[in-house]
Amino acid sequence: MSIRRIKALTKKEFIQMSRDIRSLMGALFNPLLMIFLFGYALSLDVDRIPTVVLDFDGTPVSREFTHRLTDSRYFTLVRYLERDRDVDSSLTRGEALMALVIPRDFASKVKQGIQAPIQVVFDGSDSNTATIALGYLKAVAAGFDIALQEQRIRRAGLRMVDMPLEARVRVWFNPELKSKNFIIPGLTGVIMMAICSVMTALSVSREKETGTLEQLISTPITSLELLLGKLLPYLAVGLVDLALVVGAAVLVFDVPFRGSYLNLFITSLIFLIGSLSWGLFVSVVAKSQIQASQISVISAFLPSFLLSGFIYPIENMPVVLQALTFIVPARYFVEILKGLFLQGVGLTVLWPQVLALVVYAVLVLNLARKRFTKRIL
Amino acid sequence: MSDAAVVLKDVVKRFGGFVAVDHISLEIGSGEIFGFLGPNGAGKSTTIRMLCGLLRPSSGQGWVNGLDVVSQSEKIKSSLGYMSQRFSLYDDLRIEENMAFFGGIYGLDSAACETRIREVLALIGLAERRRSLTRELPTGLKQRLALGCALLHRPPIIFLDEPTSGVDPGTRRNFWDLIYTLADEEVTVFVTTHYMEEAEYCNRIGLIDHGQLIALGSPAELKSKHLAGMIYEIATDHVLAAAETLAPVEGVLDAAVFGRALHVRMKQGIDAPSYLPAFLNSSGLLVNSIRPIEPTLEDVFVALVGHKAGQPS
Amino acid sequence: MQMMFLRVKVLLVKEIIQALRDPRLRFLVFIPPLLQLVAFGYAANLDLKNIPIALYDEDNTPVSRELAFAFASSGYFKFVETIQRPEEMATLIDRGQVSAVLHLGPDLAARVGSGRSALVQVIVAGTNSNTASLVQSYSLQIIERFNRARLKKRLDDNPPLRKIIPAGSQGIVQAEVRVWYNTELLSRNFYVPGIIALVIMVSVLNLTAMAVVREKEVGTMEQIMVTPIRPFEFILGKTIPFALIGILQVALVSSVGVFWFGVPMRGSVALLFVALLIYLLSFLSLGLFISTISRNQQQALITTFFFTFPIILLSGFIFPIANMPPVIQWVTYVNPLRYFLVIIRDIFLKGSGLSILWPQMVALLTISLCVMVLAVRRVNKTLD
Repeated sequence: MSIRRIKALTKKEFIQMSRDIRSLMGALFNPLLMIFLFGYALSLDVDRIPTVVLDFDGTPVSREFTHRLTDSRYFTLVRYLERDRDVDSSLTRGEALMALVIPRDFASKVKQGIQAPIQVVFDGSDSNTATIALGYLKAVAAGFDIALQEQRIRRAGLRMVDMPLEARVRVWFNPELKSKNFIIPGLTGVIMMAICSVMTALSVSREKETGTLEQLISTPITSLELLLGKLLPYLAVGLVDLALVVGAAVLVFDVPFRGSYLNLFITSLIFLIGSLSWGLFVSVVAKSQIQASQISVISAFLPSFLLSGFIYPIENMPVVLQALTFIVPARYFVEILKGLFLQGVGLTVLWPQVLALVVYAVLVLNLARKRFTKRIL
Repeated sequence: MSDAAVVLKDVVKRFGGFVAVDHISLEIGSGEIFGFLGPNGAGKSTTIRMLCGLLRPSSGQGWVNGLDVVSQSEKIKSSLGYMSQRFSLYDDLRIEENMAFFGGIYGLDSAACETRIREVLALIGLAERRRSLTRELPTGLKQRLALGCALLHRPPIIFLDEPTSGVDPGTRRNFWDLIYTLADEEVTVFVTTHYMEEAEYCNRIGLIDHGQLIALGSPAELKSKHLAGMIYEIATDHVLAAAETLAPVEGVLDAAVFGRALHVRMKQGIDAPSYLPAFLNSSGLLVNSIRPIEPTLEDVFVALVGHKAGQPS
Repeated sequence: MQMMFLRVKVLLVKEIIQALRDPRLRFLVFIPPLLQLVAFGYAANLDLKNIPIALYDEDNTPVSRELAFAFASSGYFKFVETIQRPEEMATLIDRGQVSAVLHLGPDLAARVGSGRSALVQVIVAGTNSNTASLVQSYSLQIIERFNRARLKKRLDDNPPLRKIIPAGSQGIVQAEVRVWYNTELLSRNFYVPGIIALVIMVSVLNLTAMAVVREKEVGTMEQIMVTPIRPFEFILGKTIPFALIGILQVALVSSVGVFWFGVPMRGSVALLFVALLIYLLSFLSLGLFISTISRNQQQALITTFFFTFPIILLSGFIFPIANMPPVIQWVTYVNPLRYFLVIIRDIFLKGSGLSILWPQMVALLTISLCVMVLAVRRVNKTLD
C-alpha cells in the first residue's frame, strides 16, 4: 500500500473541500444547529397538558379538585366550559387534550363518603400524551382521596393514620429528569451517522458523474487506497464536528460528561470510520449523486434515528426489528455515548459495543473495497 | 514477447449483444506515433480502454510494454499515461494542484514532483498560469493540462482518446507539436481521432469502422494501396444531385460530397476532365471547375467503407 | 398559451422518461417511503410494558412479597433480577439491565403492621427520561393502590375511625375514562399519518433540489436556456413530475397504513388531496429555491438537510410544541409540516372537515404561496 498515493488523494480532497465553503460549513454546523434546537427547544417530557373543565357542581369541593389537577405541572387549564356539547367541540377542535366533567352531585357524594364519579374524556390521537396523562390523573385523584380522608379524620379529632407506604422515587444519574440530558448524547450519535454517511455518499458518485473517476482508475491507485484517501478528510471533519457538538453539550447545556474524553475519542473514531465507510459503499454502488443521497438517507439516517434506541426503546419493537438494530452502528454508539455522558462508565463496561463497532467498520470498509472495481466494466 | 510496445491479438469486446470491438489484431513499435481513425462509435475508445486496463476484453489477448492487459491490468497502469475523451481533471483545483495530485498518485515524492511539474509546465506552456483554476481555462489549454498530467511519471507510452476534440485546427497543430516533442524522446503515442488531418500526423494509422480494423499502415501506404485511380475535385452548386448522378456512371469508383465540392474517384486511365463536366451539364447540373487533387485519408476511408470518417454509415 | 403548454409538456415528458428509465430511481421512489412507514409503524412506540426492574427486598415478609407481587402483576413491570446487596444495584443499572430497582426496607412489615409509615424506594435509571417518567407514574399508581387496600384494612380494624370513614368510601373519586378517536391508544395511529406527511416531504424536497441543480452541474441547463422556454414554464416542467411522485407515494403509504396497519380513515379523501397539493407546493418551491442557491448537488443536499432537520423537529411530530419555549413556538408557525400534521391526523382519526380545519388550511396555503413566490422570483433572476 502506498502512503504517498493516499496522501495525494487526501490532499486533493481537502483542497476541494476548502473550495466548497457552503458544504463544509453545512457539514460542520448542521450538527451544532441540531444540538441547539434540542437543547433549548425540544423535550419529551409530558406536562402542561391542555385541559378543559365542565363543572356542573360548582362547589368548593369540586373547585378544590379542579385546582389540584390544574395547579400541578402536568395539566394546564385552558378554560371552563358551559355546556355538555362544548366538550365535543373542544376536543374536536384540538383546543384541549383532556376534558374533565364534574357532575352535579359531586360534593354531596363526597360528603356522604360514597362513590363520587367524575368523567374524563381524552383525545386519543396523541396516544403517548394520553397514556401519560391518564397516569397523572389517577395519581392526582388518589392524592385528593387521601387528603379527603385525612380531613375527615382530623375533624373527628382523631390521630391521623399514617399511610402504610410512603413512596419515594429516586432518580439516578439524571437527577432533574430533564429530557435534554438523555436526548443530547443520543442525538450526537444519530447526527454524526447521518451527516457522515451523506458526505461520503456523494464523494465517489460525484466523480462518477463528472467523469474524473475514469481518470483516477486509470492510475495505479488501488481500491483500498482510494477509499482511505477519501475517508480521511471526512474523518477529520467528523471529529471536529463531534468536538463542537460535545463542547456545546457540556459547556452550553450543562449536560454532564462523567466519562473519559480519551474513551470518547477512541470510540468516536471507530464509529466514524464505520459510518463513513458505509457512505463510501453507497457511493460506489449508486449510479448518480441523487441516487446516492436517497440511498444513504434510507440506509443510514433513518435507521439511526429510528432503530438506535435514541428515542424509541428497542425493547418495545417487534423481534424482527430488534434483530435489525444489531446492524445499525448508531445503536451501539448511542449506548456508548449515554454511558460516557451520564453513567461515567469506561471500556470495561462498554467493550461489547466497541467491539461491535470495530467489526462493523472492518466489514463495511472491506465491502466497499470489494465492490469498487478499477474497471469501468 | 517481441519488444513491441503494444500488441493486440484477436481482441473482441461485447456489450450484451452489441459487438464494439470485433477481432482486432495489431502491433505498435516503441516510439511510434500510432493513430486509430474512425467515426464515432467505431470502437476506438473501447479499444483504448481495454489497453489501459479499464475494460476487460471479452476474448483475445493484449500486451502493453510486455504486460498482459487482462491478468496484469493494475501493473500496466503504472507504466502508461492516459488522457480520456471527456475532460476528467478537477475543475475546482488549480493547475499546479491537479499536477501535484497526479504526480503523487504516480509515486513522485514532493521534491521530484515539484521539479517534474516545472518541467512539464514548461513543456506544455502553462508555467505562468500554474495558479489558475482549471475551470477557468479554455478548452485547448485544458487539453494540454490533461496531457501534462499524463506525462508526469515519464511513462514510456501514452494513450490519448480524441485529445483535440472541439478546438480549431491551429490549436490542434500546436498540440501535435507537443506530441512530436514526446516522440523525439522515444515515447510511444497511441491516439484515437476522427479528424483526418490528425491522422496525417501519425507514423502509422489503423482505420476502424464498426469495431473492425479495415486498414493498417502509414498514411502514404494507405493512400497508394487503397486509392487505385485518380481523385478529381468538382466544384458545382448542386453537390448532392451531382453525387447521385455520377455514382452509377461507368468508370466512377465513388463520388462523395466534401463541403461544397465533390470528390470523384475514377478508374485508372480515364480522362475525367474531358467528359465528366459535359455529362453533368447535360443533366442540368452546372460544373464550375474540375481538377485533380492529392488524395487524403478521407478519400481512403470513403473508398474502403463507403462513407466518410466524420459520419456514421 | 398553446405554445406554453406544448413546451411544458415536452419538458414534462423528458423528466418522466428520465425518471422512469432508471430502474434504481424507480426503486427509490417507492421503496423508501414504504420502508419508513413500516419502520415507524412498528418501531416508533413510546408505550412501555414489561419494564425490566430489579427487586431488593430486605424485609422478606408476606407484606413485602405482596407489594412486590403488586408490581409484578401490574403488567407494567417485569422483575428480571433479585439482589441481596446494595452494591448490586449500581452494577445492574450501570449495565442497563434494569430500568429501576424496587427497594423495600428491612422493617417494612413491622412498620405497616404497627400503623406507622414505611418507606419504599424506587430507584430509577435516569438515562431515558421518558421511561423514567413512566416508571414514576406507574410506580406511584401501584403504591397508591396498595395503600388504599391497606388503609381500608386499617380502618376496618379501627372501629372509631371506621365510623368516620365508612367502608367502601375508599377511592371516593372514581374516574370514568373515555378515550376518543384512538380508543386503544395505539401509538401507530398517532404515527402513521405523521409518517405520510414526513416521508413525502423529505423525498420531494430532496429530489427537487438535487434534480434541478444536476442540470446546472452536468451542463444541460445551458441547452434549455437557449430555447424559447420561459422560466415559469421551466419551473412547471421541473416540479410537476415530482408532485406526481409525491402524490403516488402518499397514495401508496396511505393504503398500506389503512389496510395493513389498520389505521382508521374517517375523513374526506378529497379534502386530504387538496391539502396534500398545497403541502406539496410548499416543498416543491423550497426545493426549487434551494437549487437556485446551490452550485452543485452536494451543496443542494447539505442545504436540504439544513432545512429538513428543523422542519421535522419543530413540527410537533415527535416533540410536543406546547413544551417548547415561546420563541421557538413562534417559529413553528411558519412550518408547513406543523399544519399538515394536524390536518392529516384529524382527517384520518377524527374525520374532521373543512369547518374545523380551515385555520390550518389557510395557514398552509399562505405559507405555500409565499415560498412559491420567493422561489419563482429567484428562478427568474438566475435564468436571466
